[in-house]
Amino acid sequence: MAKVLYIDYERCIGCKACVIGCEECSGHDHLSRMFVDELNPGETVATSPTPCMHCVTPACAESCPVQAIAIADDGTVLSASLEKCIGCKNCTYACPFGIPRVDDVKKVMYKCDMCYDRTSKGRPPMCASVCPTDTIRFVDEHEIKSEPPKEVQFKWDFGGTVIETRTVIGLPDTETNRYGYREGDGVQS
Amino acid sequence: MGHAQNKDYAQRDYDAILRDGEELISTHCCFCGMQCGMNIRVNKEDKSVLGVEPRYDFPMNGGRLCPKGVSAYRQAEHVERLNHPLIRKNGKLEQATWDEAMDLIVSKIQEIQGKYGKDAFGIYSGSSMTNEKCYLMGKFARIGLGTKNIDYNGRYCMSSASVGFNQSIGIDRGSTNPWSDIKFADVLLIAGSNTAECHPLSMPYIWGARDRGAKLIVVDPRQTKTALVADVHLDIRPGTDVAIANGLLHVMIEEDLVDHDFIQKHTTGFEELKELVKKYTPAHVSEITGVAVDKIITAARLFGQAKNGFTMFARGVEQHATGTDSVSNYVNLCLVTGKMGRKGSGVATFTGQGNGQGGREHGQKTDQLPGFRKITDPKAREYIAGVWGVDESEIPGPGLSAFEMLQALGKEIKGLLLICSNPIVSSPTVGDVGEYLKSLDFFVCMDFFLSESAEQADVVLPSTVWVEDNGTMTNVEGRVLRVKGIDRTPGETKRDWKVICEIAERLGRGQYFQFNSPEDIFNELRVASKGGTADYYGITYEKLDKMQGVFWPCPTEESEGLPRLFEDLKFNFPDGKARILAFEHKGPNEKTSKDYPIILSTGRVVFHYLSGNQTRRIEALRNFCPDPYVEIHPNLAKKYNIEHGEFVKVSSPRGSIELAAKVTKITREDMVFVPYHWGKSLAINHLTNPALEPKSKIPEFKVCAVKLEKIASRAGEKHG
Repeated sequence: MAKVLYIDYERCIGCKACVIGCEECSGHDHLSRMFVDELNPGETVATSPTPCMHCVTPACAESCPVQAIAIADDGTVLSASLEKCIGCKNCTYACPFGIPRVDDVKKVMYKCDMCYDRTSKGRPPMCASVCPTDTIRFVDEHEIKSEPPKEVQFKWDFGGTVIETRTVIGLPDTETNRYGYREGDGVQS
Repeated sequence: MGHAQNKDYAQRDYDAILRDGEELISTHCCFCGMQCGMNIRVNKEDKSVLGVEPRYDFPMNGGRLCPKGVSAYRQAEHVERLNHPLIRKNGKLEQATWDEAMDLIVSKIQEIQGKYGKDAFGIYSGSSMTNEKCYLMGKFARIGLGTKNIDYNGRYCMSSASVGFNQSIGIDRGSTNPWSDIKFADVLLIAGSNTAECHPLSMPYIWGARDRGAKLIVVDPRQTKTALVADVHLDIRPGTDVAIANGLLHVMIEEDLVDHDFIQKHTTGFEELKELVKKYTPAHVSEITGVAVDKIITAARLFGQAKNGFTMFARGVEQHATGTDSVSNYVNLCLVTGKMGRKGSGVATFTGQGNGQGGREHGQKTDQLPGFRKITDPKAREYIAGVWGVDESEIPGPGLSAFEMLQALGKEIKGLLLICSNPIVSSPTVGDVGEYLKSLDFFVCMDFFLSESAEQADVVLPSTVWVEDNGTMTNVEGRVLRVKGIDRTPGETKRDWKVICEIAERLGRGQYFQFNSPEDIFNELRVASKGGTADYYGITYEKLDKMQGVFWPCPTEESEGLPRLFEDLKFNFPDGKARILAFEHKGPNEKTSKDYPIILSTGRVVFHYLSGNQTRRIEALRNFCPDPYVEIHPNLAKKYNIEHGEFVKVSSPRGSIELAAKVTKITREDMVFVPYHWGKSLAINHLTNPALEPKSKIPEFKVCAVKLEKIASRAGEKHG
């Protein structure tokens, strides 16, 4: 069964170990493909990591004029092929999550390929390997989508266009406040 | 997986990847007390360090690493590494040979001690070193140099926890339980610890407890990432820990949420505590701490009603003029509710430095001999003298504590050996400390980077970095573990232990320092610790490998160590009973005033470690957090007309510093927060209060009084 990234926002401490860890994967040329965003700076310390969402129908690959972005058998959307990529940035404009980057010197797109060299050998990607808080986990796709431990999201509505992603996001439980995640309360509230 | 003691840990069932032409060195991180396991990728041929590979099978972290751990290896090939000795000539540090450096060091030691006495040469040591090195420094001071003046930077870090644990439960092991026990708690009370940033690898254990439904109470003036997900966040005014604990104890006693049977059978002092906390009503405690009454009551009920639970704390509790009282008062919470001696119940302090635990056990504290023996105890002196092969009278008595030692530089202490520390960044009133160092007749420093302190030395000796080290460390749990290094000494670097033995040789004391390897030193340490509180006698290198670390005490070769203390509910006092101690709230040494109306607190960020001497040199970490800043609540910022990103002058009665404002709701309105990992004009320790806790001698880093002034123009150029 294919494995995917599961990201639990509530556990992220914003440490960026995933960003630095990503550089350690062979084939990544010490260039990180992971992002960590502050969700509401000034209001809270809440943060979230954003890797490639590995869309089921990836707009980046579909928009690529030279078919440089391959999709692996397990559904992983790979980084652009060095030989084929022309650095046109179509993929960066097409991606609704803003993930692909283009190395302007080498004229090549780079993005998360789920550490294909590691996952193909049965190890988790570096981000999931090093994540100190288990925010990023490498889990069975079917299981996490059908029996999630909490409310999750893997379908996204972009103005009527619904995109399903293989990366699954665990959402903060702000309604029942099970983990007390109080976005923006600050102190003395 | 592996030894039975490790079954509840966070390890994962994957093998590390080995790439062509490489070998993996299994070692441990050089930074905090979690001591995460990792593999270092090394080029087989030239032994160069290439990167890091997760070590999934190490129980504590299961391959996980924080940003510091992931990038730690980048120090090994760093261009700024010191690779030859330096001697100050005409005011400048210039390249020298080892012979020149050693000749100078030995002649200066002899000159100073001949002129002013043995105690005039001091050692300021560190706690990020292996147990072997820590032990060696203690021995070298006492019988190599014959000086009483040795202390270490752990005095700034763990000393209040040490005193607090000793006075309450009779033993100073940072955690009464293995870390895996955290997952089995029903309630966790974490006080004065920004756990998420300072000990990120504790989070899987905390999340593990949460997944089982445990309640989380966080006591912290700031809404850290840990506090953000707490069930109750007790957002106290800095310096009011004694009061908040008294408030919780008051509610638990009033509502009869205490364990009378446990109190009666296994403790003394409850009646005094009961009497004292009567006046600490939630309303009164709310006034002192600034925490809402209902939060105090809710927290007390959550803690009191839970069957199993931990209280865990760190420097936010300990670095105060009342630090030892606060530690013991948080221990009280577990004692009065009977949360001790079983899976899921106990107390712990988060160890700051890598070997904060082992570093304080084997005799580099000025008042201690190996095995946690008191240097003033005649029996202890006699035993250690026997191990060292000297007359008992040759072992000096207790000397000055770390900060007192710095204050004595140029006065009672004319020469100093500094190893593995950077006191000119980490001490309070660092401006003065710089002057103290300048007043020395001779100052020698051993380091692998030219730290701010090393820049002032007369001689700098280049050490190996941690990936080249071999020996043992003791982590936050009391687990002794093996550190295995790459067999190399780049450039003219030398291993610290060899340098110390060579100096001893040149001083004519070589017969006491005939070691051929770290294991030799460890074997002597084992004997020296035998029968002491921190008994390592039964621990061998072979056993450490086989069991992925061994918990002390481990008194015999047959023993496998003791992961969980007090399962028999016999505490380390002659009557076997823990001490419930009662404390009045006194507050910080320095109160706010009309001139200095705001409280300053200091602490860590996840990207840096201690004085930043190492982490500021790692580009990835530096880029994420290049400069310090001052966190200001929006309401306070508005009062001073300060916008986010504008520069602010923060001043205390001792000094001032200019910082960019980080306007954020996560901090209290009556305080500001500044991280402490920078030196020179960016060192917040220009401002902090040197007031010492009377028992532990820890400075009050966590609270002092300051004022804010908006700076009209940015002073960015100064902050490179």
